[in-house]
Amino acid sequence: MKLLVLLSWPYVRKHKLRMLLTLAGIMLGVAVYVGMHTANLTIQSAFQRTVDRIAGKAQLQVSAGETGFPEDVLERVQSLREVSAAAPVIEAALATPQGTLLVLGVDMTGDSSLREYDLEGGGEDVIDDPLIFLAQPDSMIVSRQFAERSGLGRGSKLTLKTMGGQKTFIVRGVMKATGLATVFGGNLAIMDIYAAQAVFGRGRLFDRIDVGLSEGVSVRKGTAKLQSLLGPGFQVEPPQSRGAHFESMARGLTISINMASLFALLIGVFIIYNSFSIAITQRRGEIGVLRALGASRGQVRRLFLLESIVLGVAGSLLGVAAGLALARGVVPGLAATLQDVFGHAVSASEITISPPLAAFSVFIGVLASLVGGYIPAHAAARVDPVKALQKGRNQVLSEGENRLRRRAAVACIATSAALIGFGNGNAYFYPGYLLGITSLILLSPSMAMWLASVMRPVLKAVWPVEGALAADSLIQAPRRTSATVTALMLSLALAVGFAGVSRGIYASLIDWMSHTLNPDLYVSPSRSITAKTFRFPASMAGELRSMEGVEEVQPVRNARVMIGGEPVMAVSLDIGAISRRVRVKPVEGDRDEMVRLASQGKGVIISDNLSLLRNLHRGGILEIPTPRGVLKLPVLGSSVDYSDQQGSFLIDSKLFQRYWGDDTANLFRIHVKKGQSREAVREAILKRWAGSHEIFVYTNEGIREYILRLTDQWFGLTYIQLAVALVVAILGIVNTLTVSISDRRRELGVLQAVGGLRNQIRRTIWLEAVSIGVVGLVMGAAAGVVMIFFNLHMLHRDLGGLRVDFVFPYAFVALMTPVVVLCSFAAALWPAESAVRASLVESLEYE
Amino acid sequence: MIGLAQVSKTFTGKRDVVALHPLDLTIPKGEMVAIIGASGSGKSTLLNLIGGLDHPTAGVISVDGRELGSLSDDDLTRVRRDKIGFVFQFFNLLPSLSCLENVSLPLHLRGWPRQKIHDRATDLLRLVGLEKRMDHLPDELSGGERQRVAIARALSVYPPILLADEPTGNLDSAAGAGILTLIKDLHERLGTTVLMVTHDMNVARACERILQLKDGVLLSDARVESPAAS
Repeated sequence: MKLLVLLSWPYVRKHKLRMLLTLAGIMLGVAVYVGMHTANLTIQSAFQRTVDRIAGKAQLQVSAGETGFPEDVLERVQSLREVSAAAPVIEAALATPQGTLLVLGVDMTGDSSLREYDLEGGGEDVIDDPLIFLAQPDSMIVSRQFAERSGLGRGSKLTLKTMGGQKTFIVRGVMKATGLATVFGGNLAIMDIYAAQAVFGRGRLFDRIDVGLSEGVSVRKGTAKLQSLLGPGFQVEPPQSRGAHFESMARGLTISINMASLFALLIGVFIIYNSFSIAITQRRGEIGVLRALGASRGQVRRLFLLESIVLGVAGSLLGVAAGLALARGVVPGLAATLQDVFGHAVSASEITISPPLAAFSVFIGVLASLVGGYIPAHAAARVDPVKALQKGRNQVLSEGENRLRRRAAVACIATSAALIGFGNGNAYFYPGYLLGITSLILLSPSMAMWLASVMRPVLKAVWPVEGALAADSLIQAPRRTSATVTALMLSLALAVGFAGVSRGIYASLIDWMSHTLNPDLYVSPSRSITAKTFRFPASMAGELRSMEGVEEVQPVRNARVMIGGEPVMAVSLDIGAISRRVRVKPVEGDRDEMVRLASQGKGVIISDNLSLLRNLHRGGILEIPTPRGVLKLPVLGSSVDYSDQQGSFLIDSKLFQRYWGDDTANLFRIHVKKGQSREAVREAILKRWAGSHEIFVYTNEGIREYILRLTDQWFGLTYIQLAVALVVAILGIVNTLTVSISDRRRELGVLQAVGGLRNQIRRTIWLEAVSIGVVGLVMGAAAGVVMIFFNLHMLHRDLGGLRVDFVFPYAFVALMTPVVVLCSFAAALWPAESAVRASLVESLEYE
Repeated sequence: MIGLAQVSKTFTGKRDVVALHPLDLTIPKGEMVAIIGASGSGKSTLLNLIGGLDHPTAGVISVDGRELGSLSDDDLTRVRRDKIGFVFQFFNLLPSLSCLENVSLPLHLRGWPRQKIHDRATDLLRLVGLEKRMDHLPDELSGGERQRVAIARALSVYPPILLADEPTGNLDSAAGAGILTLIKDLHERLGTTVLMVTHDMNVARACERILQLKDGVLLSDARVESPAAS
């Protein structure tokens, strides 16, 4: 510790900028980790908090996926001795000028035993005599916060968009801002369940039943009793399970966050490695003196490891603070994306700070710093005191060292290929992935040197002095530049990998949409086609069919059902009718036979990703829980279908209606008669339902744009992480250049002494920076190919089982080229100025 | 050719250090001058000021009729490029460039055509006896050979002035003698004005004039009657 104060502190003070850059490397790596995980955690816990508070005293909840179930189930639940209270619930999210409003439809006659409606003065009569509430279907109770935001009081009128068009409600009570009323950022409203059925187009269905158990009945016993009473078609679970289902839906997001965070940290490791390697190169005279004065190798090693720990702690603490700020910025976008993609509304006004996450982040930040600092510390301990003052000697990466790296890389590539090619399962794939990335890291110094050698003649031909010196600087000091080039390569590989996957997904989506989404118009009850708040009554299909210009109407009902404890999207439609318009692309099975049998209700057509995720194939049996028991249907085949990340299956609407008792629709696909104006039909539909139904009519192009926008939104979250990774890598360039200039101070001084003008000196440094950028870019693009390959495999096996074609993102790389070149150039501006303004005499005497 | 009027240099810091007290000096064209003195006497400071590598605290320096103090940084660089060649004690060759590239460096910086650069650099390397070492890197040469390359580089634009800071200080006596002979030979053949800082009286005696500095003051300015053959 004394050595740390005596030797390290003065070095830090002398090289403030470099230390700040190193600190920034750790800080940004940790910030991405903390930020994205905190944002994810905030959303998950906000969802769970909402679920818990809404559940009140309920110990169990009965549901049937997202489909809902008939009212008679309530009586069966209530008949159980083990059940003390059972209250049906309808839950819906409505868009209001004050943000999304969560509306709970409850049965006031039995609900107060499960939930406390803490009303402000004078409203007790509403709860004490639920009949008052029931007798007035326009009654609504709102939370204090929502009332304040909307300027409402008891007796005020509140107009909301419902299935029956704009509807005015009367505020009969205002809940105090405690308990239940604080859920969803305080945007909560309560209404009668039967009114809610009408308002939200639920027919005679409930979304779920909240259950309180009799005294002395354990949750396990209650679950068993209810499950045996209702059968496997229902889910009987504690409220907490809903959070787990939500988490499982967003698993893809969690995996991408983990991957990007890991890369950000890995890039940080290289920045630290680079900084410490540089520091040791520069301080080898000091180390030599220390060793000559009797310091042991262990003491020198400990000194540098201690430095990396101190930097790691400081950088990680700053990273945690920056991460929390990042989370605050990301949460609204993340919540909106999850709501749009999965149809689940989440409101999180405050971020959730997790002390274990913060502690773990500091731990991994310090660990990353230690890993980055270990090799340089080890090198410092091996410094020979005699050679310590020989400038420049240990900058050269020996051919032996390079050969060793190349051999290790070849071994990694061979093992990786064997693991991925012959192994089956994640236990083989992920180690193979890791080894693949390791081989790239091992190869990067040789590749960087080779590329710099290739660039040298070109640079020299254009700028004989500046170009040659810039390339030589890279070739002569591989230790100085290789870590930066590797960091840049990794961040660009990450970016190219994501871009490749996103291009691949776009290409596959566009292909899928082109043969699946061929109707002229789509009619949806919500702006978001994934939202399940509203549903159209079955009768509306007939009315649409009778409209002038409409040739065919295809109702679609989709809802997630729980299969094997995980949600799967059931898509109910008239398969016979649809197949006349859509050519299903079978992955497995015979198209005509699949369609014929499915339209007769003799099986289901599953999506390719469901087949992969559940290892379900043609001839297998899909066991689907329904309110009328488990429906066992043969898998007739699989087709490409991107309806849901966790898989989907097509079921004929007649069968669905029979088993779920649900004839409502989420969407109408409309084909317009030939020669008729699509726009005219669209206008006519909007006019026909204006004022009576909330309705959105999308054109074919509109729906495609909507889906692509949703995909953009999903990838948008990833781009934040990519940007941070790139910033970290650019910091590495600044770091390398400041050191390069310090190392080459004498060289630059000589250049000026023999007649180099300031601009010529500047150009040398600019060219060096741009060369680092170009080398990193070329290597990043090459490594990106490997990343795309791995990402597609990962997407295939863990992120929705999606089969996406390999597409190299040429346009993205073309876009990144000027970005990287400009960023590299910008990184060189300050170092170049500091070089030309340095004292010439001092530079020439610099040792 | 070179004129100094009341030129002084003080290094400012926590404590100001006077490196050179006000000094007047004139060095005519074609003269070979040695500057001698103990360490810290101000001889390198004087050389750096004349070479435009450093700025005086006071006084006027003129080189070939141009006052250095009135020039911008780039104009000063142009004066160095066109009028002055530098030879350093530690050679200061660029390690990544070959001998030919090192000698070509000032010519490239002046924007000469490639063929002309190649011809001139080849001629100069031949002149210093290194025609067989053209593609070698500095690391592959002996100390004497490196200094020869440095001299060839300094002479690449045939500058009228050659400033040499301890050119033999880092060489053994045989190599040192060889370099001195070379400088003297070039001075005689090209008529170059030479200013050479040295500790070595034998080297100094090979010059036509010796300036002796002590604690930043010009102690003596003596002409050597018959410069020693090197």
